[in-house]
Amino acid sequence: MAEASTASSAPERDPGSYRDPAGFVFRRDGVIYRQIDQSFAQDWQGYLDSGLYERLRKEGIVIPHDEADLDLAAEPGAAAVIRPEPLELISYPYEWSFSQLQDAALLTLRAQTLAAEAGFTLRDASAYNIQFHHGRPVLIDSLSFERAEPGKPWAPYRQFCEHFLAPLALMSKVDVRLGSLLRDHLDGVPLDLAARLLPGRTRLSLGLGPHIHLHARAQRQHADDNAAADEQAGASMSADKLATLIESLQNTVSGLSWEPEGTAWADYADNTSYTDAATAAKMEAVEAAVRKVGGRSAWDLGANTGRYSRIAADEGYRVVALDVDPAAVERGYRALKADGRTDITPLLADITDPSPALGWGNAERASLLARIDADVILALALVHHLAIGANVPLTMIASVFAGMAPHAVMEFVPKGDAMVQRLLAFRRDVFPDYNLEGFKAAFGQYFEVESETPIEGSGRILFHFRRR
Amino acid sequence: MELVFAYIDPGSGSLVIQALIAGLVAAPIFFRKQISRFVRAIRGEEPATETTNTDDTPQGG
Repeated sequence: MAEASTASSAPERDPGSYRDPAGFVFRRDGVIYRQIDQSFAQDWQGYLDSGLYERLRKEGIVIPHDEADLDLAAEPGAAAVIRPEPLELISYPYEWSFSQLQDAALLTLRAQTLAAEAGFTLRDASAYNIQFHHGRPVLIDSLSFERAEPGKPWAPYRQFCEHFLAPLALMSKVDVRLGSLLRDHLDGVPLDLAARLLPGRTRLSLGLGPHIHLHARAQRQHADDNAAADEQAGASMSADKLATLIESLQNTVSGLSWEPEGTAWADYADNTSYTDAATAAKMEAVEAAVRKVGGRSAWDLGANTGRYSRIAADEGYRVVALDVDPAAVERGYRALKADGRTDITPLLADITDPSPALGWGNAERASLLARIDADVILALALVHHLAIGANVPLTMIASVFAGMAPHAVMEFVPKGDAMVQRLLAFRRDVFPDYNLEGFKAAFGQYFEVESETPIEGSGRILFHFRRR
Repeated sequence: MELVFAYIDPGSGSLVIQALIAGLVAAPIFFRKQISRFVRAIRGEEPATETTNTDDTPQGG
Protein backbone atom coordinates (compact mmCIF):
# COMPACT_ATOMS: atom_id res chain seq x y z
CA MET A 1 0.00 0.00 0.00
CA ALA A 2 1.18 3.58 -0.69
CA GLU A 3 1.73 6.04 2.14
CA ALA A 4 -1.15 6.24 4.57
CA SER A 5 -3.13 9.43 4.95
CA THR A 6 -2.02 11.13 8.15
CA ALA A 7 -5.52 11.54 9.51
CA SER A 8 -6.81 8.02 8.88
CA SER A 9 -6.30 4.67 10.42
CA ALA A 10 -6.07 1.47 8.39
CA PRO A 11 -9.13 0.81 6.24
CA GLU A 12 -11.18 -2.36 6.64
CA ARG A 13 -12.87 -3.96 3.69
CA ASP A 14 -16.47 -5.00 4.27
CA PRO A 15 -16.38 -8.83 4.45
CA GLY A 16 -19.48 -9.03 2.27
CA SER A 17 -18.15 -6.77 -0.47
CA TYR A 18 -15.81 -8.87 -2.57
CA ARG A 19 -17.52 -10.20 -5.68
CA ASP A 20 -17.57 -7.10 -7.85
CA PRO A 21 -14.46 -6.08 -9.78
CA ALA A 22 -15.95 -2.60 -10.26
CA GLY A 23 -15.39 -1.67 -6.64
CA PHE A 24 -16.01 -2.49 -3.00
CA VAL A 25 -17.15 -1.08 0.31
CA PHE A 26 -14.75 -0.37 3.13
CA ARG A 27 -14.75 1.33 6.49
CA ARG A 28 -12.21 3.93 7.57
CA ASP A 29 -12.33 5.63 10.96
CA GLY A 30 -15.89 4.48 11.44
CA VAL A 31 -17.07 5.90 8.11
CA ILE A 32 -18.32 3.78 5.20
CA TYR A 33 -16.85 4.45 1.76
CA ARG A 34 -17.11 2.83 -1.64
CA GLN A 35 -14.09 2.64 -3.91
CA ILE A 36 -14.60 2.61 -7.69
CA ASP A 37 -12.04 0.76 -9.74
CA GLN A 38 -10.26 2.23 -12.80
CA SER A 39 -11.81 -0.50 -14.95
CA PHE A 40 -15.26 0.88 -14.17
CA ALA A 41 -14.36 4.57 -14.40
CA GLN A 42 -16.09 5.20 -17.74
CA ASP A 43 -19.37 3.56 -16.77
CA TRP A 44 -19.28 5.40 -13.44
CA GLN A 45 -18.70 8.77 -15.07
CA GLY A 46 -21.43 8.03 -17.58
CA TYR A 47 -23.80 7.10 -14.76
CA LEU A 48 -23.26 10.53 -13.25
CA ASP A 49 -23.11 12.56 -16.48
CA SER A 50 -26.22 11.00 -17.99
CA GLY A 51 -28.28 12.24 -15.09
CA LEU A 52 -29.31 8.71 -14.16
CA TYR A 53 -27.84 8.96 -10.66
CA GLU A 54 -29.64 12.27 -10.09
CA ARG A 55 -32.94 10.82 -11.27
CA LEU A 56 -32.60 7.70 -9.11
CA ARG A 57 -31.59 9.78 -6.13
CA LYS A 58 -34.53 12.14 -6.52
CA GLU A 59 -36.97 9.29 -6.68
CA GLY A 60 -35.45 7.82 -3.53
CA ILE A 61 -34.38 4.67 -5.37
CA VAL A 62 -30.62 4.82 -4.83
CA ILE A 63 -28.75 5.80 -1.68
CA PRO A 64 -27.32 9.30 -2.05
CA HIS A 65 -23.58 9.73 -1.86
CA ASP A 66 -20.94 12.42 -1.60
CA GLU A 67 -17.68 12.47 -3.50
CA ALA A 68 -14.71 11.71 -1.28
CA ASP A 69 -11.00 12.33 -1.53
CA LEU A 70 -9.23 9.82 -3.75
CA ASP A 71 -6.51 9.64 -1.08
CA LEU A 72 -8.99 7.84 1.14
CA ALA A 73 -9.00 4.81 -1.18
CA ALA A 74 -8.36 1.56 0.64
CA GLU A 75 -6.44 -0.12 -2.16
CA PRO A 76 -4.55 0.96 -5.28
CA GLY A 77 -6.35 1.19 -8.61
CA ALA A 78 -9.14 3.50 -7.51
CA ALA A 79 -10.66 5.92 -9.99
CA ALA A 80 -12.94 7.48 -7.39
CA VAL A 81 -14.04 7.18 -3.79
CA ILE A 82 -17.56 8.01 -2.63
CA ARG A 83 -19.15 8.27 0.77
CA PRO A 84 -22.71 6.91 0.71
CA GLU A 85 -25.26 8.17 3.21
CA PRO A 86 -24.80 6.01 6.31
CA LEU A 87 -27.34 3.33 7.08
CA GLU A 88 -28.68 3.05 10.61
CA LEU A 89 -29.70 -0.56 10.15
CA ILE A 90 -28.43 -3.54 8.20
CA SER A 91 -31.01 -6.24 7.55
CA TYR A 92 -31.11 -9.19 5.20
CA PRO A 93 -33.81 -10.59 2.87
CA TYR A 94 -34.45 -13.58 5.14
CA GLU A 95 -35.48 -11.09 7.83
CA TRP A 96 -38.06 -9.33 5.66
CA SER A 97 -41.79 -9.85 5.51
CA PHE A 98 -43.55 -10.73 2.28
CA SER A 99 -44.33 -7.13 1.38
CA GLN A 100 -40.87 -5.93 2.28
CA LEU A 101 -39.34 -8.45 -0.14
CA GLN A 102 -41.97 -7.57 -2.74
CA ASP A 103 -41.23 -3.85 -2.43
CA ALA A 104 -37.51 -4.56 -2.74
CA ALA A 105 -38.19 -6.55 -5.92
CA LEU A 106 -40.33 -3.81 -7.46
CA LEU A 107 -37.70 -1.22 -6.55
CA THR A 108 -35.09 -3.26 -8.42
CA LEU A 109 -37.30 -3.41 -11.51
CA ARG A 110 -38.06 0.30 -11.29
CA ALA A 111 -34.32 0.99 -11.16
CA GLN A 112 -33.87 -1.11 -14.30
CA THR A 113 -36.65 0.75 -16.08
CA LEU A 114 -35.14 4.14 -15.33
CA ALA A 115 -31.69 2.87 -16.23
CA ALA A 116 -32.94 1.66 -19.61
CA GLU A 117 -34.45 5.07 -20.34
CA ALA A 118 -30.98 6.56 -19.83
CA GLY A 119 -29.21 3.97 -21.96
CA PHE A 120 -28.00 1.97 -18.96
CA THR A 121 -28.82 -1.39 -17.44
CA LEU A 122 -28.44 -3.20 -14.14
CA ARG A 123 -25.39 -5.42 -13.77
CA ASP A 124 -26.97 -7.56 -11.09
CA ALA A 125 -30.24 -7.98 -9.20
CA SER A 126 -29.18 -9.26 -5.81
CA ALA A 127 -31.56 -8.79 -2.90
CA TYR A 128 -28.49 -7.78 -0.90
CA ASN A 129 -28.23 -4.64 -3.03
CA ILE A 130 -31.29 -3.42 -1.16
CA GLN A 131 -31.43 -2.16 2.43
CA PHE A 132 -34.31 -0.71 4.41
CA HIS A 133 -33.47 2.91 5.11
CA HIS A 134 -35.94 5.05 7.02
CA GLY A 135 -38.35 2.17 6.74
CA ARG A 136 -38.29 1.93 2.92
CA PRO A 137 -36.23 -0.15 0.51
CA VAL A 138 -33.32 1.61 -1.16
CA LEU A 139 -30.64 0.43 -3.59
CA ILE A 140 -27.31 0.74 -1.85
CA ASP A 141 -25.06 -0.58 -4.60
CA SER A 142 -24.08 2.57 -6.46
CA LEU A 143 -22.09 0.46 -8.91
CA SER A 144 -25.08 -1.51 -10.13
CA PHE A 145 -25.38 0.34 -13.44
CA GLU A 146 -23.44 -0.04 -16.68
CA ARG A 147 -23.99 1.21 -20.21
CA ALA A 148 -26.52 -0.89 -22.06
CA GLU A 149 -25.50 -2.62 -25.25
CA PRO A 150 -28.59 -3.19 -27.38
CA GLY A 151 -29.02 -6.81 -28.32
CA LYS A 152 -27.25 -8.23 -25.29
CA PRO A 153 -29.36 -10.36 -22.95
CA TRP A 154 -30.17 -9.15 -19.45
CA ALA A 155 -27.48 -10.69 -17.24
CA PRO A 156 -29.39 -10.21 -13.93
CA TYR A 157 -32.39 -12.29 -15.05
CA ARG A 158 -31.40 -15.48 -13.23
CA GLN A 159 -30.47 -13.60 -10.08
CA PHE A 160 -33.71 -11.61 -10.04
CA CYS A 161 -35.82 -14.75 -10.39
CA GLU A 162 -33.90 -16.58 -7.65
CA HIS A 163 -33.47 -13.75 -5.15
CA PHE A 164 -36.94 -12.25 -5.54
CA LEU A 165 -39.50 -14.01 -7.70
CA ALA A 166 -39.00 -17.57 -6.47
CA PRO A 167 -39.16 -16.81 -2.72
CA LEU A 168 -42.13 -14.47 -3.21
CA ALA A 169 -43.98 -17.09 -5.24
CA LEU A 170 -43.29 -19.74 -2.61
CA MET A 171 -44.41 -17.46 0.24
CA SER A 172 -47.56 -16.57 -1.66
CA LYS A 173 -48.54 -19.94 -3.14
CA VAL A 174 -47.20 -22.48 -0.66
CA ASP A 175 -46.33 -21.13 2.80
CA VAL A 176 -45.06 -17.80 4.02
CA ARG A 177 -42.43 -19.56 6.12
CA LEU A 178 -40.61 -20.58 2.94
CA GLY A 179 -39.06 -17.11 2.99
CA SER A 180 -36.49 -18.67 5.28
CA LEU A 181 -35.12 -20.60 2.29
CA LEU A 182 -33.20 -17.39 1.61
CA ARG A 183 -31.18 -18.11 4.73
CA ASP A 184 -30.12 -21.47 3.31
CA HIS A 185 -29.56 -20.18 -0.22
CA LEU A 186 -27.64 -16.95 -0.10
CA ASP A 187 -27.60 -16.59 -3.87
CA GLY A 188 -31.32 -17.03 -4.18
CA VAL A 189 -33.69 -19.99 -4.18
CA PRO A 190 -32.63 -22.32 -7.02
CA LEU A 191 -35.31 -22.32 -9.71
CA ASP A 192 -35.50 -26.10 -9.91
CA LEU A 193 -36.27 -26.22 -6.18
CA ALA A 194 -38.90 -23.49 -6.52
CA ALA A 195 -40.44 -25.25 -9.52
CA ARG A 196 -40.66 -28.47 -7.57
CA LEU A 197 -42.24 -26.87 -4.50
CA LEU A 198 -44.76 -24.66 -6.30
CA PRO A 199 -48.20 -26.12 -7.04
CA GLY A 200 -48.47 -27.67 -10.47
CA ARG A 201 -51.10 -25.18 -11.57
CA THR A 202 -48.47 -22.41 -11.53
CA ARG A 203 -47.08 -23.97 -14.73
CA LEU A 204 -50.10 -22.49 -16.44
CA SER A 205 -49.66 -19.09 -14.83
CA LEU A 206 -48.79 -16.40 -17.35
CA GLY A 207 -46.02 -15.08 -15.14
CA LEU A 208 -44.72 -17.93 -13.02
CA GLY A 209 -45.01 -20.43 -15.88
CA PRO A 210 -42.27 -18.83 -17.99
CA HIS A 211 -40.18 -17.09 -15.31
CA ILE A 212 -39.96 -20.04 -12.92
CA HIS A 213 -40.90 -23.28 -14.67
CA LEU A 214 -39.72 -22.71 -18.22
CA HIS A 215 -36.72 -20.86 -16.84
CA ALA A 216 -35.83 -23.80 -14.56
CA ARG A 217 -36.07 -26.18 -17.48
CA ALA A 218 -33.82 -24.01 -19.59
CA GLN A 219 -31.25 -23.93 -16.77
CA ARG A 220 -31.29 -27.71 -16.62
CA GLN A 221 -31.03 -28.11 -20.38
CA HIS A 222 -28.21 -25.63 -20.86
CA ALA A 223 -26.20 -26.47 -17.78
CA ASP A 224 -23.31 -27.94 -19.74
CA ASP A 225 -23.37 -25.59 -22.69
CA ASN A 226 -20.35 -23.72 -23.91
CA ALA A 227 -20.57 -20.14 -25.09
CA ALA A 228 -20.20 -20.92 -28.80
CA ALA A 229 -23.22 -23.22 -28.82
CA ASP A 230 -25.36 -20.65 -27.06
CA GLU A 231 -24.36 -17.91 -29.47
CA GLN A 232 -26.32 -19.71 -32.16
CA ALA A 233 -29.22 -20.79 -29.98
CA GLY A 234 -30.14 -17.64 -28.09
CA ALA A 235 -31.95 -14.90 -30.00
CA SER A 236 -30.88 -11.36 -29.23
CA MET A 237 -32.70 -9.13 -26.77
CA SER A 238 -33.73 -5.85 -28.32
CA ALA A 239 -34.53 -2.93 -26.05
CA ASP A 240 -38.24 -3.59 -26.63
CA LYS A 241 -37.91 -7.24 -25.70
CA LEU A 242 -36.03 -6.30 -22.57
CA ALA A 243 -38.71 -3.77 -21.65
CA THR A 244 -41.33 -6.48 -22.16
CA LEU A 245 -39.39 -8.88 -19.97
CA ILE A 246 -39.12 -6.29 -17.20
CA GLU A 247 -42.78 -5.34 -17.46
CA SER A 248 -43.75 -8.99 -17.25
CA LEU A 249 -41.60 -9.44 -14.15
CA GLN A 250 -43.26 -6.36 -12.65
CA ASN A 251 -46.74 -7.71 -13.33
CA THR A 252 -45.80 -11.13 -11.99
CA VAL A 253 -44.29 -9.77 -8.77
CA SER A 254 -47.17 -7.33 -8.21
CA GLY A 255 -49.67 -10.08 -8.85
CA LEU A 256 -48.40 -12.16 -5.95
CA SER A 257 -50.04 -11.58 -2.62
CA TRP A 258 -50.12 -12.96 0.88
CA GLU A 259 -52.79 -12.12 3.42
CA PRO A 260 -51.60 -12.30 7.04
CA GLU A 261 -54.50 -14.08 8.68
CA GLY A 262 -54.71 -17.02 10.95
CA THR A 263 -51.17 -17.40 12.26
CA ALA A 264 -50.92 -18.07 15.96
CA TRP A 265 -49.94 -14.60 17.06
CA ALA A 266 -52.05 -12.55 14.72
CA ASP A 267 -54.82 -12.06 17.24
CA TYR A 268 -52.48 -11.63 20.18
CA ALA A 269 -53.16 -7.96 20.59
CA ASP A 270 -56.83 -8.74 21.09
CA ASN A 271 -56.43 -11.80 23.25
CA THR A 272 -54.10 -10.81 26.04
CA SER A 273 -55.21 -10.76 29.62
CA TYR A 274 -55.25 -6.97 29.66
CA THR A 275 -58.07 -4.63 30.46
CA ASP A 276 -58.09 -1.28 28.69
CA ALA A 277 -57.05 0.47 31.89
CA ALA A 278 -54.14 -1.88 32.36
CA THR A 279 -53.03 -1.35 28.77
CA ALA A 280 -53.11 2.40 29.25
CA ALA A 281 -51.08 2.06 32.45
CA LYS A 282 -48.52 -0.11 30.69
CA MET A 283 -48.23 2.33 27.81
CA GLU A 284 -47.64 5.19 30.25
CA ALA A 285 -44.98 3.24 32.11
CA VAL A 286 -43.17 2.32 28.89
CA GLU A 287 -43.31 5.91 27.72
CA ALA A 288 -41.84 7.14 31.00
CA ALA A 289 -39.04 4.58 30.91
CA VAL A 290 -37.91 5.28 27.34
CA ARG A 291 -38.11 8.98 28.03
CA LYS A 292 -35.88 8.47 31.06
CA VAL A 293 -33.33 6.62 28.93
CA GLY A 294 -33.31 9.52 26.47
CA GLY A 295 -31.69 7.52 23.71
CA ARG A 296 -31.83 7.49 19.89
CA SER A 297 -32.19 3.86 19.03
CA ALA A 298 -34.52 1.22 20.41
CA TRP A 299 -34.98 -2.43 19.48
CA ASP A 300 -38.39 -3.81 20.38
CA LEU A 301 -38.15 -7.58 20.88
CA GLY A 302 -41.42 -9.38 20.26
CA ALA A 303 -42.94 -6.17 18.96
CA ASN A 304 -46.05 -7.80 17.49
CA THR A 305 -47.65 -5.07 15.39
CA GLY A 306 -45.63 -2.31 16.98
CA ARG A 307 -47.86 -0.62 19.51
CA TYR A 308 -44.97 -0.06 21.90
CA SER A 309 -42.50 0.57 19.09
CA ARG A 310 -44.64 3.58 18.24
CA ILE A 311 -44.40 4.85 21.79
CA ALA A 312 -40.61 4.80 21.58
CA ALA A 313 -40.67 6.32 18.09
CA ASP A 314 -42.93 9.13 19.30
CA GLU A 315 -40.28 9.82 21.94
CA GLY A 316 -37.76 10.40 19.16
CA TYR A 317 -36.26 6.93 18.83
CA ARG A 318 -35.65 5.14 15.58
CA VAL A 319 -36.97 1.68 16.28
CA VAL A 320 -36.36 -1.80 14.96
CA ALA A 321 -39.44 -3.89 15.69
CA LEU A 322 -38.64 -7.60 15.76
CA ASP A 323 -41.17 -10.40 15.82
CA VAL A 324 -41.13 -14.13 15.15
CA ASP A 325 -44.57 -14.09 13.54
CA PRO A 326 -44.60 -13.28 9.80
CA ALA A 327 -48.15 -11.99 10.11
CA ALA A 328 -47.17 -9.48 12.79
CA VAL A 329 -44.21 -8.20 10.77
CA GLU A 330 -46.34 -7.97 7.64
CA ARG A 331 -49.16 -6.14 9.39
CA GLY A 332 -46.67 -3.83 11.08
CA TYR A 333 -45.01 -2.96 7.78
CA ARG A 334 -48.30 -2.31 6.01
CA ALA A 335 -49.52 -0.08 8.82
CA LEU A 336 -46.28 1.91 8.86
CA LYS A 337 -46.45 2.42 5.10
CA ALA A 338 -50.05 3.55 5.35
CA ASP A 339 -49.13 6.02 8.08
CA GLY A 340 -46.06 7.22 6.23
CA ARG A 341 -43.84 6.51 9.24
CA THR A 342 -40.13 6.32 8.58
CA ASP A 343 -38.85 5.84 12.10
CA ILE A 344 -39.77 2.18 12.63
CA THR A 345 -38.53 -0.84 10.67
CA PRO A 346 -40.21 -4.18 11.36
CA LEU A 347 -38.13 -7.33 10.87
CA LEU A 348 -38.72 -11.04 11.17
CA ALA A 349 -36.57 -12.56 13.91
CA ASP A 350 -36.72 -15.41 16.39
CA ILE A 351 -34.96 -14.35 19.60
CA THR A 352 -34.32 -18.00 20.42
CA ASP A 353 -32.60 -18.45 17.05
CA PRO A 354 -31.50 -15.06 15.73
CA SER A 355 -29.93 -14.91 12.26
CA PRO A 356 -26.45 -16.40 12.42
CA ALA A 357 -23.36 -15.14 10.62
CA LEU A 358 -23.45 -16.55 7.08
CA GLY A 359 -21.58 -16.67 3.84
CA TRP A 360 -17.89 -16.71 3.07
CA GLY A 361 -15.83 -17.09 6.24
CA ASN A 362 -19.11 -16.86 8.14
CA ALA A 363 -18.49 -13.14 7.93
CA GLU A 364 -20.27 -12.02 4.77
CA ARG A 365 -23.65 -11.60 6.43
CA ALA A 366 -23.34 -10.60 10.07
CA SER A 367 -25.35 -12.23 12.81
CA LEU A 368 -28.39 -10.36 14.08
CA LEU A 369 -26.90 -9.95 17.54
CA ALA A 370 -23.81 -8.31 16.03
CA ARG A 371 -26.03 -5.83 14.20
CA ILE A 372 -28.01 -4.68 17.22
CA ASP A 373 -27.09 -1.08 17.88
CA ALA A 374 -29.49 0.10 20.54
CA ASP A 375 -29.64 2.44 23.51
CA VAL A 376 -32.53 0.43 24.91
CA ILE A 377 -34.30 -2.83 24.23
CA LEU A 378 -37.96 -3.39 24.91
CA ALA A 379 -38.94 -6.87 26.08
CA LEU A 380 -42.63 -6.57 26.79
CA ALA A 381 -44.78 -9.68 27.14
CA LEU A 382 -41.74 -11.62 25.97
CA VAL A 383 -39.68 -13.10 28.79
CA HIS A 384 -42.30 -15.65 29.82
CA HIS A 385 -42.31 -16.97 26.26
CA LEU A 386 -38.56 -17.44 26.42
CA ALA A 387 -38.37 -18.74 29.99
CA ILE A 388 -41.41 -21.00 29.93
CA GLY A 389 -42.29 -21.41 26.28
CA ALA A 390 -38.71 -22.08 25.24
CA ASN A 391 -37.20 -23.27 28.54
CA VAL A 392 -34.42 -20.68 28.53
CA PRO A 393 -33.18 -20.10 32.10
CA LEU A 394 -33.72 -16.52 33.31
CA THR A 395 -29.99 -15.99 33.92
CA MET A 396 -29.26 -16.93 30.31
CA ILE A 397 -31.93 -14.55 29.07
CA ALA A 398 -30.42 -11.82 31.23
CA SER A 399 -26.95 -12.53 29.90
CA VAL A 400 -27.95 -12.25 26.24
CA PHE A 401 -30.08 -9.16 26.86
CA ALA A 402 -27.20 -7.50 28.69
CA GLY A 403 -25.13 -7.89 25.56
CA MET A 404 -27.69 -6.05 23.47
CA ALA A 405 -28.03 -2.59 25.01
CA PRO A 406 -27.22 -0.52 28.10
CA HIS A 407 -30.89 -0.25 29.05
CA ALA A 408 -33.76 -2.72 29.04
CA VAL A 409 -37.44 -2.02 29.56
CA MET A 410 -38.96 -5.34 30.50
CA GLU A 411 -42.24 -6.77 31.64
CA PHE A 412 -42.40 -9.45 34.31
CA VAL A 413 -45.49 -11.65 33.85
CA PRO A 414 -46.21 -13.80 36.92
CA LYS A 415 -47.15 -17.45 36.73
CA GLY A 416 -50.72 -16.74 37.77
CA ASP A 417 -51.29 -14.65 34.65
CA ALA A 418 -53.62 -16.15 32.08
CA MET A 419 -50.98 -16.02 29.34
CA VAL A 420 -48.48 -17.98 31.42
CA GLN A 421 -51.15 -20.45 32.44
CA ARG A 422 -51.82 -21.03 28.78
CA LEU A 423 -48.11 -21.79 28.24
CA LEU A 424 -48.20 -24.23 31.14
CA ALA A 425 -51.34 -26.01 30.03
CA PHE A 426 -50.63 -29.70 29.42
CA ARG A 427 -47.09 -29.25 30.70
CA ARG A 428 -45.27 -30.03 33.89
CA ASP A 429 -44.29 -26.90 35.77
CA VAL A 430 -40.51 -27.30 35.85
CA PHE A 431 -39.93 -23.63 36.57
CA PRO A 432 -39.53 -23.26 40.34
CA ASP A 433 -37.40 -20.12 39.92
CA TYR A 434 -39.87 -18.37 37.68
CA ASN A 435 -41.20 -15.79 40.10
CA LEU A 436 -40.54 -12.17 40.95
CA GLU A 437 -37.58 -12.92 43.25
CA GLY A 438 -36.02 -15.26 40.72
CA PHE A 439 -36.57 -12.70 37.98
CA LYS A 440 -34.91 -9.91 39.94
CA ALA A 441 -32.06 -12.17 41.03
CA ALA A 442 -31.32 -13.29 37.47
CA PHE A 443 -31.40 -9.83 35.95
CA GLY A 444 -29.74 -8.33 38.99
CA GLN A 445 -26.54 -10.12 37.97
CA TYR A 446 -26.24 -7.82 34.97
CA PHE A 447 -28.52 -4.86 35.62
CA GLU A 448 -29.47 -2.31 38.27
CA VAL A 449 -33.14 -1.57 38.75
CA GLU A 450 -33.88 2.00 37.65
CA SER A 451 -37.61 1.61 38.25
CA GLU A 452 -40.12 -1.07 39.12
CA THR A 453 -43.72 -0.18 38.25
CA PRO A 454 -46.62 -2.57 38.93
CA ILE A 455 -49.19 -2.35 36.15
CA GLU A 456 -52.51 -1.55 37.73
CA GLY A 457 -55.24 -4.03 36.99
CA SER A 458 -52.83 -6.85 36.11
CA GLY A 459 -50.30 -8.80 38.11
CA ARG A 460 -47.54 -7.63 35.81
CA ILE A 461 -44.61 -5.37 36.62
CA LEU A 462 -42.71 -3.08 34.29
CA PHE A 463 -38.99 -2.82 34.95
CA HIS A 464 -36.46 -0.33 33.68
CA PHE A 465 -33.06 -1.98 33.97
CA ARG A 466 -29.73 -0.24 33.52
CA ARG A 467 -26.74 -2.40 32.70
CA ARG A 468 -23.98 -2.39 35.31
CA MET B 1 -21.20 -14.42 -25.86
CA GLU B 2 -19.11 -12.14 -23.70
CA LEU B 3 -20.99 -9.88 -21.34
CA VAL B 4 -19.33 -6.65 -20.37
CA PHE B 5 -18.93 -6.52 -16.57
CA ALA B 6 -21.36 -9.43 -16.02
CA TYR B 7 -19.37 -10.31 -12.94
CA ILE B 8 -22.19 -12.46 -11.61
CA ASP B 9 -22.95 -15.83 -13.14
CA PRO B 10 -25.84 -15.04 -15.47
CA GLY B 11 -26.58 -18.70 -16.07
CA SER B 12 -26.34 -20.01 -19.62
CA GLY B 13 -29.94 -21.24 -19.61
CA SER B 14 -31.17 -17.86 -18.40
CA LEU B 15 -29.37 -16.06 -21.22
CA VAL B 16 -30.60 -18.40 -23.89
CA ILE B 17 -34.24 -18.61 -22.79
CA GLN B 18 -35.04 -14.99 -22.02
CA ALA B 19 -35.64 -13.88 -25.61
CA LEU B 20 -38.13 -16.71 -25.99
CA ILE B 21 -39.77 -15.82 -22.68
CA ALA B 22 -39.95 -12.16 -23.67
CA GLY B 23 -41.76 -13.29 -26.80
CA LEU B 24 -44.15 -15.48 -24.80
CA VAL B 25 -45.06 -12.86 -22.23
CA ALA B 26 -45.50 -10.11 -24.80
CA ALA B 27 -48.89 -11.50 -25.72
CA PRO B 28 -50.49 -11.33 -22.26
CA ILE B 29 -49.04 -7.84 -21.78
CA PHE B 30 -50.46 -6.74 -25.11
CA PHE B 31 -53.89 -8.19 -24.39
CA ARG B 32 -53.89 -6.78 -20.87
CA LYS B 33 -53.24 -3.30 -22.28
CA GLN B 34 -55.95 -3.73 -24.90
CA ILE B 35 -58.47 -4.90 -22.34
CA SER B 36 -57.82 -1.97 -19.98
CA ARG B 37 -58.03 0.42 -22.87
CA PHE B 38 -61.36 -1.10 -23.84
CA VAL B 39 -62.70 -1.01 -20.30
CA ARG B 40 -61.64 2.62 -19.89
CA ALA B 41 -63.30 3.52 -23.19
CA ILE B 42 -66.55 1.93 -22.09
CA ARG B 43 -66.44 3.80 -18.80
CA GLY B 44 -65.73 7.04 -20.63
CA GLU B 45 -62.54 7.59 -18.64
CA GLU B 46 -59.35 9.41 -19.69
CA PRO B 47 -56.98 7.24 -21.73
CA ALA B 48 -54.02 6.00 -19.67
CA THR B 49 -50.49 7.26 -20.31
CA GLU B 50 -47.87 4.73 -21.30
CA THR B 51 -45.85 4.86 -18.10
CA THR B 52 -47.24 4.58 -14.60
CA ASN B 53 -44.83 7.06 -13.07
CA THR B 54 -46.46 10.44 -12.62
CA ASP B 55 -43.34 12.54 -12.04
CA ASP B 56 -41.66 11.84 -15.35
CA THR B 57 -38.80 13.95 -16.53
CA PRO B 58 -39.05 14.96 -20.20
CA GLN B 59 -36.85 12.06 -21.24
CA GLY B 60 -39.31 9.56 -19.76
CA GLY B 61 -41.52 7.41 -21.94
